Amino acid sequence: MLANLRKEERSLLYYITAFLAVGVLVLYLGQPEFNTVYELALGSGYKLPFWWFVVMLSIGTMAGFWLISAYWRVAGFKCDPYLMPITASLTALGLIFLFRLRPQYAERQFAWLLFGLVALVIITTLLRKMDWLEDYKYIYVAAGVILLVLPIFFGREQYGARSWLDLGLFQLQSSEFVKLLLVMFLASFLAENRRVLSAGSDQLWGISIPGIREYGPLVVMWGISLLILVFQKDLGTALIYFCTFLAMIYAATARMFYVSAGLLLFFLGGTVAYYIFDHVQARVDIWLNPWAYSSGKGYQIVQSLFALGSGGLFGSGLGQGLPGLIPAVHTDFIFSAIVEELGLVGGCAVLVLYMCFIFRGFMIALNARNDFTALLATGFTALMGLQTFIIIAGVIKLLPMTGVTLPFISYGGSSLVANFVLLGMLLNVSHEVNQGNETEY
Amino acid sequence: MKQNIKKLSYFLLSIFVILLFYLTYITFQQGEALATHPQNRRMAAKEAAIIRGTIYDRQGVSLAETKWQGQAGQRVYQTVEHVFPSAHVVGYVSERYGSSGLEAAYSKELLGLTEADAVENLLDKILNRTPRGNDLILTLDASLQSRALALLGNRRGAVVALDPRTGAVLAMVSSPAFNSNTLKDPEVWNQLNKDEANAPLLNRATQGAYPPGSVIKLVTGAGILTNQVDQPEKTIDCPGYVIIDGNKIADNQVHHQVNFSKALAVSCNTYFAQEGVKLGWHNLLNTFEKFGLNQNPHLEIPVRAGTFAAAERRNKSQLAETSFGQGDTLLSPLHMALACAAIANHGTIMKPYLVKEIRKPEGQVVRVTESTPWLTATTPEIAGLITQGMVGAVDWGTGSGASLRGIKVAGKTGTAETKNTQDPTSAPHAWFVGFAPADNPQVVVAVIVEKGGSGSKVAAPIARDVMAAALSGK
Repeated sequence: MLANLRKEERSLLYYITAFLAVGVLVLYLGQPEFNTVYELALGSGYKLPFWWFVVMLSIGTMAGFWLISAYWRVAGFKCDPYLMPITASLTALGLIFLFRLRPQYAERQFAWLLFGLVALVIITTLLRKMDWLEDYKYIYVAAGVILLVLPIFFGREQYGARSWLDLGLFQLQSSEFVKLLLVMFLASFLAENRRVLSAGSDQLWGISIPGIREYGPLVVMWGISLLILVFQKDLGTALIYFCTFLAMIYAATARMFYVSAGLLLFFLGGTVAYYIFDHVQARVDIWLNPWAYSSGKGYQIVQSLFALGSGGLFGSGLGQGLPGLIPAVHTDFIFSAIVEELGLVGGCAVLVLYMCFIFRGFMIALNARNDFTALLATGFTALMGLQTFIIIAGVIKLLPMTGVTLPFISYGGSSLVANFVLLGMLLNVSHEVNQGNETEY
Repeated sequence: MKQNIKKLSYFLLSIFVILLFYLTYITFQQGEALATHPQNRRMAAKEAAIIRGTIYDRQGVSLAETKWQGQAGQRVYQTVEHVFPSAHVVGYVSERYGSSGLEAAYSKELLGLTEADAVENLLDKILNRTPRGNDLILTLDASLQSRALALLGNRRGAVVALDPRTGAVLAMVSSPAFNSNTLKDPEVWNQLNKDEANAPLLNRATQGAYPPGSVIKLVTGAGILTNQVDQPEKTIDCPGYVIIDGNKIADNQVHHQVNFSKALAVSCNTYFAQEGVKLGWHNLLNTFEKFGLNQNPHLEIPVRAGTFAAAERRNKSQLAETSFGQGDTLLSPLHMALACAAIANHGTIMKPYLVKEIRKPEGQVVRVTESTPWLTATTPEIAGLITQGMVGAVDWGTGSGASLRGIKVAGKTGTAETKNTQDPTSAPHAWFVGFAPADNPQVVVAVIVEKGGSGSKVAAPIARDVMAAALSGK
């Protein structure tokens, strides 16, 4: 069975290659007159026909995934065979839509994708044995805090959030990487302390009352989330940090106390933030009634709803809709573009792909060999799932809109690289599982 | 801990199921409203990429066509002396101000977006052709339109001409008209909207609300004969006034002995007031309804259905006034033309229509409007008796201004008082309805000149020229 893992993976990659090819072909047929010369932004102005550019990037993407699979086979890496194809299909879909919406961003995204794939190779090579990672939890905290604090002093404000680090050649959104450090820290912290945390130390009238040791982490985490909210004005990231924390502490301790107290604190913080910060208040007001602000601050969400509603069951067809009417459609609102052009069917397919990712992620967590790796896999999967849920719920107006990227699909370099690191870590856990249990899968 | 992870995974997967359901809800429950929301620019963009069909008159004269310039089209409307005589019927289409008239009513056909066009549109998409909508061929006659508008001149008013045998509307003008080509200029648009005195955007022919004056006597007359209030031969004496409920209502002159036919020809208010009171509210309103006065004929452009005195105001003197076209009655010229068409067409009103045919750009006919009866207003016998009175009116009565050489014309004038306490010197509305030839009616005309003076002097000559033009044009 195990020998077939990579074969299965590669055959799935062929389907995805076909999918990407069909997408590019449809785009080409949709506008054959669009044969402008494309000038590479990153290649010092090198010019080539637009469709050559598209085909080259597509081939480059699929070749990248295929080579990694081939490398894993040679290197004897026994990870889950479905996660990478799921990721590849999401990436391919993202590329198709970036070609269609903003070709310059497709080029940048491709460059970031190469970084991401390299990161994936490095992580699946160097970090295969994961146990030692448990010992460096305070280094994660230190690194995380530094990464979080840097943009406050040296950062640039973009899209209303101050979380970008300007590194000259490119910009880095450090909070994307802090997410990973957060999960690693929590996994090691909880693996060590989960028994203490689940028991409860004092009792008062028969009810276990948590001591400082128990609600300490909760309050600290809540504080960190609030700080992000205050200093970086990044509502989405704060929400993801806090929810991931709650998910992991629940998985580790099974105590609803943490979840309910956490939610209580969250609503407390949210209510206070609503009254103190204009941008939080604006987000909530827009969510409650975007139509009242349809030409002002609610414009984006209203345009997103128009795109969703115009798609119908099968969509307008790739390249045939007008998703360009939505501001920032290539990042936060790319899901609306997908639904407009591929319809409800396409939107549901994307959701199901993410559900498959989450399912595989939790399967890995359930089979993990020790608490640390189980929590690590749980945390990464929950992080991925929550982020996806929060952004999609935002663009379809189920929840207030918070600016985060749609993993693997949205344009966003830091997010893409961070998500490949996350994928690499998950795959490392699954490699460990499969190595120890040859009959599994 | 495995249990917890399992529960967490169920939770996460179930919130994704919520997303699936909510997305489905948006698509199916709100999709239509969102897709067609006025602020959603997708519809406009889609329409802008289609060559809108041409609107032709019955002779093939282009009234509105789209000149395609590469990526976008410009809608060009016919102009005669700087105005578009059919502006109110054809309407306009503007990105900024929406659309009106037939441009609005037949938007789907003109854009080729009906279900019948689905295959064609798919082919256009595949072959990457610029889609072109269907053409409309109207029943209107462009030369008759400009003639009618010229006859109204700079006076406010309306002319409706239709073929009583089919219901085809041959002419429908409202004065003042406007130039649909200049609407895109916001200044012109604002000016047209602000001009409340002239209300140039109002289609007076279908949405005007005028007291009908004596032209209503055709309908009242039909009610009198149908309900056999009196025999048509019976004469009454007209002393030049009539006293109803203690109110003295002055007639236009002393008519002496009048029977039904003479009363129509000389437009005797005394006769109709007395007979109308005998007829009673119930029968009178019933007759009005049979003639479709308070109904919407669904002409596909906005029509104001006529209104009569409210129930609490229906006393005897109101009844007498309503019988000869004053009181609270307010009607549109279209409704009067249709009532007259009932007399011309042996008691049956054909459903009026403006669009004769819808054709594909290659000339293939998509739909032909078939004429259908709309209402049965009265019997052929009664229609014949009323025609006699109307012929008398034109031959030797009030409507002599409408007589044509060699053609027998039937007509009825109306001079509707508009005096009120605010404006005690206001000139009356001049009305004329009629048809020709009287023994083989081919055209029905209704003319109103707002505050133009007497129906005989002002409206009848306009009707004569419109009838002459309509008959010679065939």
